[in-house]
Amino acid sequence: MESDKYIVGHDDILLVTGATGFIGTKVVENLLEQGFRRIRCFVRASSDPSKVEALRAMGHDGAQVEVFQGNLLMREDCRVAVRGASIIFHLAVGGGSRSFPDAFMNSVVTTRNLLEAVASSKSLKRFVNISSFAVYSNREKSRRRLLDETCPVEKEAALRSDAYCFAKVGQDEIVKEYCEKFGIPFVMVRPGYVYGPGHDAITSRVGIDTFGIFLHLGGSNSVPFTYVDNCAEAIVLAGLQKDGVDGEVFNVVDDDLPSSRQFLRLYKKNVTHFSSLYLPHFVSYTLCFLWEKYSVWSNGQLEPTFNRRKWHAVWKKTYYSNEKLKTRLGWTPKVPTAEGFRRYFAACRTVEERHA
Amino acid sequence: MLKVALVGCGKIADSHASLITKIDGCELVGVCDREELMARQLYERFPVRRYFSDLEKLLSETKPDVVHVTTPPQTHFEIARRCLESGCHVFVEKPFTLYAEESQALINLANSKGLKLTAGHDDQFSPVARRLRSTVQSGYLGGPPVHMESYFCYEIGTTYARALLGDSRHWVRRLPGKLLQNIISHGIARVAEFMVGDSPEVMACGFVSPFLKSLGEAEICDELRVVIRDERETTAYFTFSSQMRPSMHQFCIYGPENGLLLNQDHETLIRLRGARFKSYLEKFVPPVLFARQYFAGSLANMAAFLRRDLHMRSGMGYLIESFYRSITEDAPVPIPYREILLTARIMDSIFEQINRRPVALQPDLEFPSGVLVHHNSQV
Ligand SMILES: NC(=O)c1ccc[n+]([C@@H]2O[C@H](COP(=O)([O-])OP(=O)(O)OC[C@H]3O[C@@H](n4cnc5c(N)ncnc54)[C@H](OP(=O)(O)O)[C@@H]3O)[C@@H](O)[C@H]2O)c1
Repeated sequence: MESDKYIVGHDDILLVTGATGFIGTKVVENLLEQGFRRIRCFVRASSDPSKVEALRAMGHDGAQVEVFQGNLLMREDCRVAVRGASIIFHLAVGGGSRSFPDAFMNSVVTTRNLLEAVASSKSLKRFVNISSFAVYSNREKSRRRLLDETCPVEKEAALRSDAYCFAKVGQDEIVKEYCEKFGIPFVMVRPGYVYGPGHDAITSRVGIDTFGIFLHLGGSNSVPFTYVDNCAEAIVLAGLQKDGVDGEVFNVVDDDLPSSRQFLRLYKKNVTHFSSLYLPHFVSYTLCFLWEKYSVWSNGQLEPTFNRRKWHAVWKKTYYSNEKLKTRLGWTPKVPTAEGFRRYFAACRTVEERHA
Repeated sequence: MLKVALVGCGKIADSHASLITKIDGCELVGVCDREELMARQLYERFPVRRYFSDLEKLLSETKPDVVHVTTPPQTHFEIARRCLESGCHVFVEKPFTLYAEESQALINLANSKGLKLTAGHDDQFSPVARRLRSTVQSGYLGGPPVHMESYFCYEIGTTYARALLGDSRHWVRRLPGKLLQNIISHGIARVAEFMVGDSPEVMACGFVSPFLKSLGEAEICDELRVVIRDERETTAYFTFSSQMRPSMHQFCIYGPENGLLLNQDHETLIRLRGARFKSYLEKFVPPVLFARQYFAGSLANMAAFLRRDLHMRSGMGYLIESFYRSITEDAPVPIPYREILLTARIMDSIFEQINRRPVALQPDLEFPSGVLVHHNSQV
């Protein structure tokens, strides 16, 4: 990358929230590789100390990794953390929670606090909001099978019965609202499924093992994988690039995406063998429909965890595009999918062996 | 139409909102949270008329008949008091208040204003807990309870532990009973319900588990053992553990003739016969009788599921409905105030004891090791 294309200089302060996270760590690493010398990492007092140490240890001759300890739920912490920052890479997210209020608080309230803190900032050049494919409804698209940046976002996110989707849609909305209100330049990056060492679960886009046997639901769908290093690079580019970026949305998926079936075969061959049962799309759709109806009929005896909105978003046959990312940001996936899988499977094997 | 409002829009508020909106004859007129975004997200997901970030506005503009208080425990007293003062009946989530004095003050205020109060001890209203109550009331124990055992466990995962331990500002740390305050009231309330006297003696031993210690915690007790004895010599053991497995929610009550064993997780109630069979039959017959009871319990649960009558939060639903009925039909409140107060008093006493530094035994007071170590395989 050439530095005259960047909106900031190498000595400007770049703030990364969620820096101890799976992608955040790689974003910090990538920024250091680009030669940036003042990276401020927002970590919580409760963050895994080994991850915080690893961040500190990334600093090297002249490049400083400052660890800022706080909580994005605290407005005062946000005010102090954003001081002097030129770009904010906002990756923090309340992950893993099934509870809507928890997910919402750790995505939307935190983001609002951060945006309020930068509202009057003179130094901020761009706010990079990390969104997700989870926000797309994958319905009513102009080009039936293709999902790209022009596709509609879930309007009634609560009806998908997925706290993460609800929180991420809310996060995107608040980013737009505040950035427009306070004139904060922003860009949205929406990664597909980010994989790599450190994230060993099989994405539900391939299938689920909720019912004791692995139900393979993806079939011939392509899975929107992006290797963590490639994703981090896309995020960094979206933050740095000078022209034609503000207010834009960028989807992140790699090239050569495998089908769900191909992936599952590779996984079983390279990591561990297990039985799986393939459910064709019309069966999974019907089951989602029935589950949804049962949930209503039984007055919520079962939560509508599986429903048609979810099916559209996760299991419908869809193709993905990274055209915009390539043409507008000059991004290319540095780690080819075959190599990404090799590293990922090796890491999964280690985890399997440890469990065994 | 009963006008209901909800203050505090966190995790537990979701359960309240979803249950309230299913009850006929009531309407959720407003939800409120100091963080307006939190109030809004609840409003967006449930049929609620309006959302607020100011309690006074909620009270004055929606004029609710009932307010549910689902905020963090340290705010329960003030918010409930304010709601009572403005003429609302109040449902306060557990723990009712931080101190028994505050519970008493709320009850006095409610009584003086002709209003009603209840606490979120919903475990006591699950179908199995209701069956236990009616079996006890039918005289199955053969007299007043002699002894009870209440287990209320909670698995602390590494993520929760880190969040709590790493954060010196975490609100749980500021509670007098810290982590325990927020969790144990269900298990204590079960005991309080069946205690005969009102001023029990409480002996508590709390400590930090080796698991939390290994994460660097020295202050937050996550293991608790309690012995309770009231003036009429009814006794109870209470156990809270974050480490023991299975992580049980179980209650046992023994009378002079028979006992009952309730397992909240399995939703089963087992009758413990006091009478014995003759000779070896005591070894053959009771296991079969137990098996039969467990089998029947499993079938009953399946049948309830098929009837659409096995909801995870049915205890809370029942409690809320009973509370509303006590208001609309001027019936007795579902949880007697005596029980709320007794629960609060027992908890006060537990926290007072575990917050005191433990006194090390003098060397000459130590038990001879043989007494403790060689217990009983030969006896
Ligand atoms: N992973 C994927 O496949 C994927 C796909 C699409 C989009 N994304 C998006 O990418 C971003 C990063 O994802 P990830 O997988 O790297 O997440 P992750 O590994 O779960 O990390 C989340 C980070 O957020 C921090 N955090 C959470 N709540 C916070 C708070 N209140 N204050 C400060 N920090 C807080 C966590 O800090 P602690 O270390 O203290 O917990 C952690 O560093 C997220 O916005 C996510 O939605 C991820």
